[in-house]
Formats: sequence, structure tokens, C-alpha cells
Amino acid sequence: MGETPALPSRREEDWRWADLSWAERLADTPAPANDPLPDVAAFRLASNAPLTFLAAGRPVAGANHAPRPDPTAPPHPLADLATAHASAGLDLAVGPGQDAGVHEFLHLGSAGAAHSVNRIVLGPAARLVVVEVLAGTGHDHWLNHRLDVDLGDGAELVRVLVVPNGQGLVSERTFARVGPRARLVALTLVASPAAVRAEVRAQLVGAEADAVADGVLLGHGAGAVDVLTRIEHLVSQARSRQTFRLMAAGRAQVSVAAGVSVARHAQKTDAAQSLKALVLDRTAAANLKPELEIRADDVTCAHGCAVGEPDPWARFYLASRGIPPADADRLLLRAFVADALTHLPAQLAPAVEARLDTWLDLSRPAAP
Amino acid sequence: MLAIQDLHVSVEGRPILKGLSLAIGAGEVHALMGPNGAGKSTLAHVLAGREGYEVTRGSVTFLGRDLLALAPHERAAAGLFLGFQYPVEIPGVSNLLFLRTALNAQRKARGEPEVPASAFLKRARAEAEALGLDVEMLKRGVNVGFSGGEKKRAEAWQMALLEPRLAVLDETDSGLDIDALKVVAAAIQRFRGPDRAVLLITHYQRVLDHVVPTHVHAFLDGRIAESGGPELARRLEAEGYTRIAA
Repeated sequence: MGETPALPSRREEDWRWADLSWAERLADTPAPANDPLPDVAAFRLASNAPLTFLAAGRPVAGANHAPRPDPTAPPHPLADLATAHASAGLDLAVGPGQDAGVHEFLHLGSAGAAHSVNRIVLGPAARLVVVEVLAGTGHDHWLNHRLDVDLGDGAELVRVLVVPNGQGLVSERTFARVGPRARLVALTLVASPAAVRAEVRAQLVGAEADAVADGVLLGHGAGAVDVLTRIEHLVSQARSRQTFRLMAAGRAQVSVAAGVSVARHAQKTDAAQSLKALVLDRTAAANLKPELEIRADDVTCAHGCAVGEPDPWARFYLASRGIPPADADRLLLRAFVADALTHLPAQLAPAVEARLDTWLDLSRPAAP
Repeated sequence: MLAIQDLHVSVEGRPILKGLSLAIGAGEVHALMGPNGAGKSTLAHVLAGREGYEVTRGSVTFLGRDLLALAPHERAAAGLFLGFQYPVEIPGVSNLLFLRTALNAQRKARGEPEVPASAFLKRARAEAEALGLDVEMLKRGVNVGFSGGEKKRAEAWQMALLEPRLAVLDETDSGLDIDALKVVAAAIQRFRGPDRAVLLITHYQRVLDHVVPTHVHAFLDGRIAESGGPELARRLEAEGYTRIAA
């Protein structure tokens, strides 16, 4: 790789909670070419779906050369870095009226920096569910992703991003243009002691466009999980919903900055967001930052956020009925995250549910 | 079944229970009556194992075991049930899932097989109907959106399905209208049996018109001031607690 471009600094407001130290260390260290392939099955959530598989930035199965990114996407320091260095990625185009079912994209990294550029274009009334699993199998790795999405009139994309583990850094930026009556569901599931930076920027450019940005973010160990959303209502009569549930355990810091902006002419906007965090250990931290920028006057923008600790009264109530502490915590934590999983596609629910208990156990409060 | 000996309990250094002794045998229903602040709810919570209560002296034996040495969930599995004065709301956990999880956890702790989902649901519906609880409500989060009366019916529903040996009912009658009181009282009556016992904590005599106790205790300032039969409840109602205290 050439000279290291300047990485964002925590002095910049949008990056204040991001831990990019792995990027700084590994920016000039390409991932090795001959790493042994890990067991892919363990990472898959949609095992029967067509698979695109990258290992350390290189195509293994079903991957294309890196597609051309959306030239109109706003500049972004990490996404642009991915554009400069990626040699492979997912390139999916679904024709008008087609239902492409579920597609799975898996990128595993074990060492060095690996980039990918991905592009999804749905024609009018097309439908697609994409599961993206970004996972580390080693310690010194940085996976850096860019996904550009274009949704035609009435199209629907459900995109489930999963970061299930890892020790290094996973960074990801999704930019989506959502056309009239089209719907984007971006669900971010993180259960990681790694550093994670995930970003969803959706531009609602057609009337009755709909964007959902939900997430369950579990940080444990010394993880730094940082999610930023920017939902831009650029036309009237569009709708957006954001629901994030955060849990911070150990020494982790889990953060979300959820943004909604409403342009001056975007009347009849219907936007809502709900951000809640549980801090499970006194050594952990959670940051919630609702960001509303409203320039129109006839809009609904509901928002609420709350940071708290597990309710000891609820734990006692469950215990008084015979439920042991570990099971009680699991039940309460599952209940806490349930609101953020309502848009999970039914066909993925069993696989996610099966992993959820394992993920929640990692975040479970220590026994008193 | 339950033997409390000289129990002293403090909360944040302040003595609440001051030498309570009480023995409850199988088949008995004990009513513990007392004014606000006497320590009635403290007793209920100490028996169930809530944190924050310091037992400074005394012992509690339940079915031959040292109750105070057991964790709260172990006490439940041993056969103790606490009916809460203010049942907790838990959004996101349905009443049905919660109670099936609880029942099977208790059964597992006792070395009994799990109850299959279909059998549980059948019994859950039957008990709900007997209590006038809408089965659809039981699919909601635990106690979420329930009125005060519905919460107390839900407590009675839990008790009926868990089949404990001893039910400690902390002001189960508070906040109930006449009709709801009769329904909950009928549930307690159905629960009564030769192998079971009830400790009914209450302010008022009215619930005892429907659940006639075998023993009544006047509970004042952290200890039992006087014990008797059902006539004591009527006397307390007529004369008030101050006469007993005097």
C-alpha cells in the first residue's frame, strides 16, 4: 500500500467514541495472502443461502472484483480508503419485481488490513435480504467495508450486519439511497470485545420512502463498539425508525449517535428513535446521543433515550419464582433487546435466537 | 412446616423485626395483621430472600431446612411462594414464558422432569379462566399494563400453577375491589390443603371473611403482640391496633 492517508481523529465529533488504533497500526500492513481458511459454517447465519465469501480481502467463493462504488456517495475517510484498496466485494443487482431471497456475505480476517467494496442495486419492487458477517479469527486484523445501496421505487432491502467476535477492528460504512415507497431495514448486531465502527447513512429521496436502522450492540471485554446513523429526510412524507439497545459489560464502551435530519421542504416527515443502554458493570460505559436536525415545521420526530443498570427488583421477582440468577439475567437481557429485533426476517430468527443467548451470556452481569 | 425463632432483622442498621417467633403447620392458614410500618412486608421479603435485609439474630426452618441459608430461587424450589404487594412489571417477557421457565426451573431443581409446553398451556388457561384472567393478557409482558386487581389475580395464577407448599401473601387484598377480592380469596381457598399452608399478611379483616384463618396474629413493632383464632381479627377490626399496643 502507499502512504497512509489521514485517519479520522477523536477530536472530530462524529468519531469521538471510535477506537481506530488498530487502523493506525495496520493501515500499511496488508493481510497475508496464504492464511488457512477457517471453518466457514460456524460463522454462517443463513446456511442455505447463496454465499459470497472473502478471506482477508480476497475472494474465495462467489465474490466479484470490487464493484464500482456509487460516485455520488458522500466522501468518507474509511469508505474511501476501502475504495482505494479493495480488490473484491459483493456486487448484487436485482431486477424489477424480482425477489432474490436471502444472500449471505462473509468476510473473515486474521491479520493485517483487509478492505472490501460492496454494491447492491435493487430495481423497482425488487426484494432482497442480505446477511453480512464480518468476523475476526485472529488478533491483529482490520476489516474495512464499504457498502453502497440504491433502492428503486417500491424496492425493499433488509440488511443484517453481524459482528460476532474478534479482537481487532471492524469498520463499516453503509450509504443507501432510498427511492419512493422503497424500504431499507438496516439491522446491526454486534457482540464483540473488538473495536467496531459501523455507520448507516440513508438518504430518503422519494415520497413514502422508509428507513429502519435498528441495532443490538453488546460490548464486553475491552471492546469499543461505536455506531453512527444519519437518516436524511430529503423529501416530504418519508418515514424512519431507529431502535438501538446497548449493553456494556467488563471494560467495554458501547456508543450510538443516532442522527435524523429533516430538510426544509421535507414536510410530513414521520421519524422516531428509541435508544436504551444497560451498563452491566461499573467499569463499563455506554453513550447515547440522539441528534435531530429539523428544518421543516410540519413533522413528527419522536425520540427517547435512557441509560440504566439491570433492575434488581425484577431479578428478585424472577428468583422468587424459582428462576436461577443466570437464567433470570438471560431472560431480562433478551427482553431488553427484543424491541430492536422486531424487523429481523423470520427466516433468520432461529439462527439469531440461537446465538443470542451465547452473546448475552458474554455480557451477563457478574454474580454479586 | 415453618418455624421462625426469635428473628431479628435490620435494614441499613435500623431494627425492623425484633424477636419474632412463629410456627406454621401443614394445613394451617395464619393471618398476620398489623398497622403500617410494623414490619409485615419485611418479614415477607426476608422469608423470600430479598437482598438488603440483615438477619442479626434468630433462625427460620422450612420443611426441616435452614431457609436463611438458601438463595431466593432455591427457596422457591423448596416450596416457598411470595405473593407480592406490588408485583413487578417486566416488559418483553411474556407471563406464559416467565411462568413456564419458573415452573421448569423449580422442577429441575427438585429432580423432576420438565412440563411439556402443551400441558403447561392447558393448565395455564384453565387456571386463568378460574381467576377471570384474559388468556390473551398472559401473552403480554409480565404484569405490563395490568390494573392493580389484575396483578393480584396474576399472582394467584402463578401460585396455582407453581403449587408451593407455603404461600406468603403480602397484602394480596390491597387495591382490590369487592369482586376481585372474592376471586382472589376463592383462589386462596382452592390452594388450601392438608399439605399446604398460608401466611396471609393484611391490614384488614375483610379478606378473612372469605378466607377463614386457623390462626390470627396481631403484629406490632416487629414482633407478635397477641395470637388467637378468627375472633382476634374481628376484635382488631373493632378496636384498632392501638388498644393491643396499649
